[in-house]
Amino acid sequence: MDSEDDMHDAHDGDSLEDFYSGDTANESDDGAGDYDFMDNDSDDPDHVTSHRQQFVASFCRYDERLEDGVEERSMFPEQNYTVLSEEDIRRHQDEDIARVSNVLSISKGSSSILLRHYNWSVSKVHDAWFADEENVRKAVGLLVKPVRIPNVRVLTCGICFESHSRDKMDAAGCGHVFCSSCWTGYISTSINDGPGCLMLRCPEPSCIAAIGQDMINKFAYHEDKEKYAHYLLRSYVEDNRKSWHKTVEDGWSCLTVDVACPCAVTHPSEVIKGRADIITSEFGTFGCDYAVDFVFGSGSYDVSCNCSHNFCWNCTEEVHRPVDCITVEKWILKNTAESENMNCQETSLYGVPATNNRLDELQMQEKDAEETPHPQTVSSLILANSKPCPKCKRPIEKNQGCMHITCTPPCKFEFCWLCLGSWAEHGERTGGFYACNRYETAKQEGVYDEAERRREMAKNSLERYTHYYERWATNQSSRQKAIADLQHMQSVQLEKLSDKQQQPESQLKFITEAWLQIVECRRVLKWTYAYGYYIPEQEKAKREFFEYLQGEAESGLERLHQCAEKELQDHLKSESTPTPGFNEFRTKLAGLTRLGLLSLTPIPSLRMTNLIRNQPNPT
Amino acid sequence: MANSNLPRRIIKETQRLLSEPAPGISASPSEENMRYFNVMILGPSQSPYEGGVFKLELFLPEEYPMASPKLGRICLDILKDKWSPALQIRTVLLSIQALLSAPNPDDPLSENVAKHWKANEAEAVETAKEWTRLYASGV
Repeated sequence: MDSEDDMHDAHDGDSLEDFYSGDTANESDDGAGDYDFMDNDSDDPDHVTSHRQQFVASFCRYDERLEDGVEERSMFPEQNYTVLSEEDIRRHQDEDIARVSNVLSISKGSSSILLRHYNWSVSKVHDAWFADEENVRKAVGLLVKPVRIPNVRVLTCGICFESHSRDKMDAAGCGHVFCSSCWTGYISTSINDGPGCLMLRCPEPSCIAAIGQDMINKFAYHEDKEKYAHYLLRSYVEDNRKSWHKTVEDGWSCLTVDVACPCAVTHPSEVIKGRADIITSEFGTFGCDYAVDFVFGSGSYDVSCNCSHNFCWNCTEEVHRPVDCITVEKWILKNTAESENMNCQETSLYGVPATNNRLDELQMQEKDAEETPHPQTVSSLILANSKPCPKCKRPIEKNQGCMHITCTPPCKFEFCWLCLGSWAEHGERTGGFYACNRYETAKQEGVYDEAERRREMAKNSLERYTHYYERWATNQSSRQKAIADLQHMQSVQLEKLSDKQQQPESQLKFITEAWLQIVECRRVLKWTYAYGYYIPEQEKAKREFFEYLQGEAESGLERLHQCAEKELQDHLKSESTPTPGFNEFRTKLAGLTRLGLLSLTPIPSLRMTNLIRNQPNPT
Repeated sequence: MANSNLPRRIIKETQRLLSEPAPGISASPSEENMRYFNVMILGPSQSPYEGGVFKLELFLPEEYPMASPKLGRICLDILKDKWSPALQIRTVLLSIQALLSAPNPDDPLSENVAKHWKANEAEAVETAKEWTRLYASGV
C-alpha cells in the first residue's frame, strides 16, 4: 500500500495483516508499509464495544485541549486515538475488575490479580478460568479455601523469629504466618522495588499464595499504597498493550488498545534509575499520567498526548513519519552508540547514556583509548554494556558475569546478552548459551570477522555517519528553534504585526501556517537523513535520486524558513505603516508554505498524504 | 557499635549456624562486625571439588532479611529476584553447596570455563579437580 487512502478502506475489508513491522524481521523498503492497518475482529465484542462507545464520545474533547503554538492539529486531519486521563483509565479498570468479580464470583482483589496475570483481558480470564479453574488458581496463586491459622496463643514469625500473640500475626490465606511489622516490611520492600510488587507472593519460598490488594490495604504504608495503586493503573495500560502484541501473532486482534504516553523517554534525567544489574524506568518517573487509546483501522500512528508530547504509537519514539519504525530504531541505537564519538548532547535525548554510571567508566576507558581511535571498537564497547531489553526496550546494563539476563518485572523477559535471543530457546539445541548459532554463523560467514572489511569500515563509517548525524541533529535543533519562534510569533508578534499592517489577525493566518509547516518539514527532513543513512551502498542510483530530491526539498525549506524568519522581521521593524510589499510577502510565503517538501513525493516510502499540506493526495 | 542493635533474627540465625552447622558448611561472624561472616564450604563428595575448601565472605546488609545477603559474584536466583525474607543464611549456603554438586553451565560466571565444560565435560572435570587441588586444598 502506498497511500493512506488504501488504509482507510482496509478497515472495512477482511484482510488480516500483520502491520506491526517492529516485530517482523524483514525490512521493508516501503516505509508506508509501516502504516498499514488491519481489520480487526474482537474476540470480546461486548467488552470492546462498550469501550469504543465511550472513546468515541470523548473524541471531541481533543481540540479543546491543545493550548499553545506547538499544536500540530492541522497535520493530523484524522484522529484515530483518544487521550485518556487517569480517571478514565481507572474507571475502565474498575469496570473490568467488577465484571470478572461478578462472573466468577470471586473477590475484587482476586479478580484484579487474575486480570493482571492475563494482561487485563477479561475474555482471556473467562476462557482460562472456565477451561481449567484449578490450574488457573495454581498459576496465579489464588487458594480455594483459606488455611486456618493454628489456634494457639503464641506464634513465631517466620521472618523476624520473634514470638507474638496470635492477633499480631497474619497469613495470606495459606497458613504461613508472619507478624504485622514483617508483613509491612515485606510489602514495602516489594513495592519500592518496582511494579513487580503486583505479582507478590507469600514470603514462604515454597508457597504460591498471591498477595493482593487486601493485604496491601492492611499492611502497607500510606505512600506505598499510593505507589501500588499507581503501578496497578500503569499495568492496566502497559500490559494491555503487550498482550496485544502477542495476540496479533496468534491471529487474535483487538480494536482498542491503550498505551502509556512515553513522554518520560524524552526526559532522560528522570527516566532511568540504576538497580543491582538492571536499569529500569521506574514507574513513578513517567512524565505524565495520560494513556492513549488507539483505534486500529484508520489513520496513522502519530499520537499527540495531552502533555503535548507527540509520539509514534507503534514504536513510542517521537513522531517520525514518513520514515518507518525499524529505521528509526536502528538510527537511535546507532546514535546512542556513537554519541561518545560525536561528543554530542542530542543523543542523550534517548536516555541511555545520560544516567548510566557504567557509561561514565566507559567514557574514561574511551579516553584512554584515544591514542588509537577505532570507532567500531568504541561503539561496541558502549553497546556491549548497555542494551535495550529485546522485548520491552528498556535499557539494561550488564555488570555481572553471566549472560543470562532477566529484565525487571513486569517484563521479566529472560534473554541472552550476546545474541539477545530468548533464553528459553537457548541451550544445546542452539549450540550452547554463548555460542548462539546466530552469532557463530555470522562469524563463519565472515560478517563479523572480516578483517579487510572492518578496516575499510573503520576508515569510512565514522565519517559517513558524522555526515548524516550532523544533518539529522541540525534539523532537530532547527525544529526546536522554529517551535519557539512559532510560540513567540503567536504570543507577541502577531498582535504587533496586526497593528502595523492594519489587518485583523485572521488575515495573518498565513504566517502561523508557514511556521507550522516549517516545524513539520524540519521533522520530516530530519528523518530523511536517517533514511538516507540506511540506503544500501550498492543501490547507487537509488541513493543519488534520493539525495537529489532531498537536496531540492532542503533548499525549498530553507527558502521558506528564511522568508518566515527574515522577511517577516523586515515587516515588523519597518518604519512605515503599513509596510510596502506586505502583500507580495504574503503571496511569497503562502506559496512557499504550499510547496513544503513537495519534491520528496516521488519517493514512495517518503510519500504520505498528510506530509504535504494543502496538496491533493498523491495516488 | 553496629553490633549492639543487631536484630534478634540475626542473633538467632548466628546461634543456630554455630550450634547446629549444616554438614560441610561453616559460617562464623567476624568479631568486629556481626553482620560479616567468614564462610567455608567443603567440596561435596563425588564432585570434582571433593577435598577442597571454598572460602566465601557473606555480608548481611542493613535491610536484611528484607534484602538478600551479599555474597561474591554467584549466579544464584535466590540471591537476586527470588530472594524471600523467609530464606536464611543457611538456605543460601546450602544452595551454593548444591551448585558445586551440580554446576549450571548455562548460567556461568566464566564463559570460558562453561564453554570448556560443554565441549568436553570429562576434561573440564579434570581441570576442576586439578584447580581444587592447587587452589582449594590448603586452609
